[in-house]
Amino acid sequence: MLMITCPVCGAEGDETDFHCGGQAHISRPASTDPHNVSDDAQRDYLYIRNNPKGLHREMWMCARGCGKWFHAERDTVTLEFKSYYGITESAPPSSSPNPAASKTTKKKSAGR
Amino acid sequence: MSGQPYRLPANVGSGTTGRILDRSRRIAFSFDGKSLSGHPGDTVASALFANGIRLVGRSFKYHRPRGVIGSGADEPNALISVGESGRHEPNQRATQVELYDGLVSKSQNNWPNLKFDIGQINSKFSRLIPAGFYYKTFMWPQSAWMFYEHFIRNAAGLGTAASEPDPDTYEHMHATCDVLVVGGGVAGLAAAQSAAAAGARVMVVDECARLGGLADSSSGLIESSPQTEWVQSTVSTLAAAENVHLMTRTIAAGHYHHNWCLLLERVTDHDPSLAIQGAPRHRLWKVRANQIVMATGALERPLTFANNDRPGVLLASAARIYVNRYGVSPGRRGVVFTNNDDAYQTALDLTRAGVPLARVVDVRTDPRGELVEEARAAGIEVVTGMAVTNVDTVAAGAKIQSVKVAPYKAGSRIGGREERIECDFVAVSGGWNPAVHLYCHTSGKVKFDEDLQSFKPDRSFDQITPVGAANGTYDLDGLISEASNTGAAVAKKAVGSKVKRSKSDRPLASSPKAGKLEPVWFVPATGALNEGNKHFVDFQNDVTAADLELAAREGYRSVEHIKRYTTLGMATDQGKTSNINALGVLTGALQSAIPQIGTTTFRPPYTPISFGAIAGTNAGNRFLVVRRTPPYEWHCENRADFEPIGQWRRPYCYPKPGDSRHDAINREILSVRNEVGLLDASTLGKIELKGPDAAKLLDRVYTNTFSTLKVGKGRYGLMLNEEGFLMDDGVTVRLADDHFLMHTTSGGADRIAGWLEEWLQTEWSDLKVYVTPVTEQWAQFAIAGPNARNVLENLDGDIDFSADSFEFMSMKVGRLTGYPVRAFRISFSGELSYEIATPSNFGHSLWLALLEAGENHGIQAYGTEALHVLRAEKGFIVVGDESDGTVTPLDLGLGWAVSKKKDDYIGKRSLERAYLAAPKRKQLVGLLTQDPQEVLPDGAYAVAELKDKPPMEMIGQVTSAYWSPTVGRSIAMALIKDGRNRLGDVVDFPLDNGKVVKATIVDPVFYDKEGAKQNV
Amino acid sequence: MSDLQFRSALSHRRDEDLPMDLCVSLDEVSDRAMIDLRGSLDDPKFVAAATAALGVALPAQPRSSSVKGDITVLWMSVDQWLVTTPRGSEQALLSKLVKRLGNTFSFACDVSDARTIIRVSGGDARSVLMKGTSVDLQSPVVKPGWVRRLLFAEVAAACQFVHSDPDTFDVYVFRSYADYVWEWLLAVARKGARVQLYGKQEPPLV
Repeated sequence: MLMITCPVCGAEGDETDFHCGGQAHISRPASTDPHNVSDDAQRDYLYIRNNPKGLHREMWMCARGCGKWFHAERDTVTLEFKSYYGITESAPPSSSPNPAASKTTKKKSAGR
Repeated sequence: MSGQPYRLPANVGSGTTGRILDRSRRIAFSFDGKSLSGHPGDTVASALFANGIRLVGRSFKYHRPRGVIGSGADEPNALISVGESGRHEPNQRATQVELYDGLVSKSQNNWPNLKFDIGQINSKFSRLIPAGFYYKTFMWPQSAWMFYEHFIRNAAGLGTAASEPDPDTYEHMHATCDVLVVGGGVAGLAAAQSAAAAGARVMVVDECARLGGLADSSSGLIESSPQTEWVQSTVSTLAAAENVHLMTRTIAAGHYHHNWCLLLERVTDHDPSLAIQGAPRHRLWKVRANQIVMATGALERPLTFANNDRPGVLLASAARIYVNRYGVSPGRRGVVFTNNDDAYQTALDLTRAGVPLARVVDVRTDPRGELVEEARAAGIEVVTGMAVTNVDTVAAGAKIQSVKVAPYKAGSRIGGREERIECDFVAVSGGWNPAVHLYCHTSGKVKFDEDLQSFKPDRSFDQITPVGAANGTYDLDGLISEASNTGAAVAKKAVGSKVKRSKSDRPLASSPKAGKLEPVWFVPATGALNEGNKHFVDFQNDVTAADLELAAREGYRSVEHIKRYTTLGMATDQGKTSNINALGVLTGALQSAIPQIGTTTFRPPYTPISFGAIAGTNAGNRFLVVRRTPPYEWHCENRADFEPIGQWRRPYCYPKPGDSRHDAINREILSVRNEVGLLDASTLGKIELKGPDAAKLLDRVYTNTFSTLKVGKGRYGLMLNEEGFLMDDGVTVRLADDHFLMHTTSGGADRIAGWLEEWLQTEWSDLKVYVTPVTEQWAQFAIAGPNARNVLENLDGDIDFSADSFEFMSMKVGRLTGYPVRAFRISFSGELSYEIATPSNFGHSLWLALLEAGENHGIQAYGTEALHVLRAEKGFIVVGDESDGTVTPLDLGLGWAVSKKKDDYIGKRSLERAYLAAPKRKQLVGLLTQDPQEVLPDGAYAVAELKDKPPMEMIGQVTSAYWSPTVGRSIAMALIKDGRNRLGDVVDFPLDNGKVVKATIVDPVFYDKEGAKQNV
Repeated sequence: MSDLQFRSALSHRRDEDLPMDLCVSLDEVSDRAMIDLRGSLDDPKFVAAATAALGVALPAQPRSSSVKGDITVLWMSVDQWLVTTPRGSEQALLSKLVKRLGNTFSFACDVSDARTIIRVSGGDARSVLMKGTSVDLQSPVVKPGWVRRLLFAEVAAACQFVHSDPDTFDVYVFRSYADYVWEWLLAVARKGARVQLYGKQEPPLV
């Protein structure tokens, strides 16, 4: 039972109070140019996912708190949450333990 | 009631005997129907000892007679059933079952009775039941397995489960603490004391009824006094502290990620009368601990010699615990057999209590510890370099008469003169294993310690710190120091306390200096062959050293495979006594060292937990979460036959007295077709969307267009997932330019609201829309049938329901007989139909008002089955019936609702994928069976060509099938490959029972194809 | 026109005798209407309009609430509040809100009947509730006014610590779950099942 802290509202809670949305930073090709999405690009978007041993960037949602989505970096070996960052923020530099220290830019469509 | 012949007097010798016993009171209990007595404080095991009962069960495979080996959670043999009828519970460790007045216990695994057990015959044929016996024997013929299984299940296995409902209650509890201390022995209490002093919120849990662990049965003094005195004063201090919670009779069953722990508190097992006052039998605690101190102690391991399973062979620590704590002697005359110093404490305690001791047999040639010297000084006869090689028994193996002792040298055959020593019990010690189970449940790794000859904690990702014996620290002063320092250190981590500590903050202790242990994994029996002289490693599963060697000879190398092949370490004790000894035996068989062989995986729970505790409060009428609609009581009062729709309970139909379900459904359908019906549709998902971009959002989540919808009008929409498959449908109404009300399927209500939020937050965070689910705010009823308008016009109100004023697919807001309502003209039955929504707290009353208003128009309530038949007659789909997550709107013939103009909507690009755009996909069609009376079963498969037996090529399946009273025959909908090009074809549906149903493919609309009935 | 018949989620249980041996008192609070309010704290026009209409500031601090007169505002999310007001006053308040909010990006929606409130009070209220939620109700952050959305007895709920002496919690559950949660509370609140977590205790035997 993982213990998670929502970076949006600060609620701390059990994994069952949150919802995991899987791998983060998958861009949706149709949002950029709906008429020019190759079959391969659509396949990758729908089905191709990483399964790393180590750092994994994920989307989570504070289901029993503020209802907001956020990003988290989690180590799949130790299950430790290394950092949390906003849902519209792009990925911090790899393995940065402190999200505040990494310069992140707001970017539309950075989610999913 | 018999006496207690093995009960020791309280004041014999200088030792403490029966420390916890209340000898002033007797309590009655029974074992296998025999009335016996014990004292408060006794366990069933100690009381059986006191009554001279050594034979307590039969072994799992060979049905050998077995007695008590241990004194706690590690007991592999003395598994008993406790309680009667619904309270009967099998496989309880007699060593942990506290005695209460009237306790009923039974032995297990024997028939017809414990003393004469037919299964013993397995013992005679044991050469024919080697490791992997079942795998090897019952393989062929495959069809015979069902036959074998019946006998195997009856002959093997542990106790039987209760067949009556459990009358007790159970519950869960959550807690958060800074420091969770597992184990209330000296180490645990020392850690708790320093952690509490540092200001941490501390929980201390111990599986026993009393705190103190082995303080009353191990050597050493704290602050120059017996350990129990320090324990007593520490427990008093901790109990008085505001920041400490002490729990007894509570096992830490499992340790999970991020220091989440499962504890099982046995609340009433020791005193069932508490249940009458409302106490739950068990309470399952879910504890989140910032830090865990693991002070779980250590478990003694037996020694592996011939017939080491005979009743009367027990662990050395257990022998002294029975004497010191319960005031019972394990027998009349004993032998202590050891490879380490600790067992000398047993020799000393037994001698002090006046229990005759024939000999201490020590495999070591020159033991030199302080306890050894003390024993010698006390006049105890010690022989060294010797081993117990066998035991002689009477009473069919149930009673020890003597042991054989011979010179021993590790790795050699037994040679030299063998001596026979008269005795009736043997207290054995093969050393101690730290109880690392909890440490290993998540990330903890163990390493082998050559000095201790056991595994001890090494490293973990979790905030769990082992202390004391659990960490392989056995020296008392070292143990207290380690525990005390750890308690303070973890408290500091958890709460950042700045309390300065000095050495004087912890008690000083002293204990006899121990000599080195000599590993002994196997003591060969004398004689040419060892046949008939079984060396048991795992008592509970009847795994012998020979079984392990056989597994190795047969090629098993991984200890995990050997475990599964031989069943070593399985079942309720999970190898607590057997693990290390088995590895020791395997060192010889595999020619490898223990660290290389490794250990098997420790999994939760530490000891079994009850199913009741897992279910907790969710039993009986709280088994499932049940959601009720506002007129729920009316449904109950009117004989509704409910069906579960997700968590909702919806009326399936309303049978009248004498009605079958079928009658009721047909009546309800015809009342809608001919007069008017009333449906509780409150479960329908309702979501309000507001904001300047609301229309834009709807255009992106639906396949069709909503930005063109006029205020006050509604439109049916289809929602796809990104893979292009149909996910939800419903009518969305425009309440204002920037304000919509979306209806979803009942099952989709929460999911779709979450879906919209997810897209708004993650992909389209630039869209300005607020999404508010309002499903529960509104009760909603469908009034359907030719008389629907008459019924509504019969009620006072300010809404004009006339055909001209209130068009199909539009909505109005107003009042109906005083109630505020939203009225929609939509139809899922093909009839003239309205849906009326009112705030839920008025729902029940408006329902009654509608029934009253419709009384003269033949109104009847109808349920979900009538609803389904009505829509099927019209060829309307139900998401989840006609679709299953692999179906597109085009497959369903709903292409008209899929926009070709929009650049993008969810799922659009995927619809163009080759597989989804391919011709000859399964398509929705109607079916008419050749026999109009025959209703196809849901899910029946259509085949391309009928054959005598499978396999046959399947070309589709029935998605819905009903008896239609409207058209007077059976109707069905199906997804059939290339179905729309096959209208008029007859296809075969072979059923499970061998019958074949033939049906003609037709258009899926069976009634009122022109839609004239709803446009009146 | 018939008289309006109002039936709260648990009205049918009102006449039931509660078991005598409960360690907390249980009640349905059915006289509060509720408005779900959405808007951004970054939008000063929204904040000003909401504050003016409600007469009380929107609690910006997560898991808090504010009260003035008859109106209580519970924090639900960073852009969402649940306004409670006596039943009968909600339409006037909603109109006032809608009027003040004008064309700001916001949404005020009447959800008075979507939830009901179960009031749990007494010295054992915290431990009774902790049988159903993993949220630590003994934490020092749980002060009067504290609010939290949570999973209670496997059902989505919100909980407000109303006041202490005696400890009083309002559990907001969706209407359809009310019976289930009520039954659940009756089962865990028996005196014989009391749990005293932390604090002075009888020393266990040694």
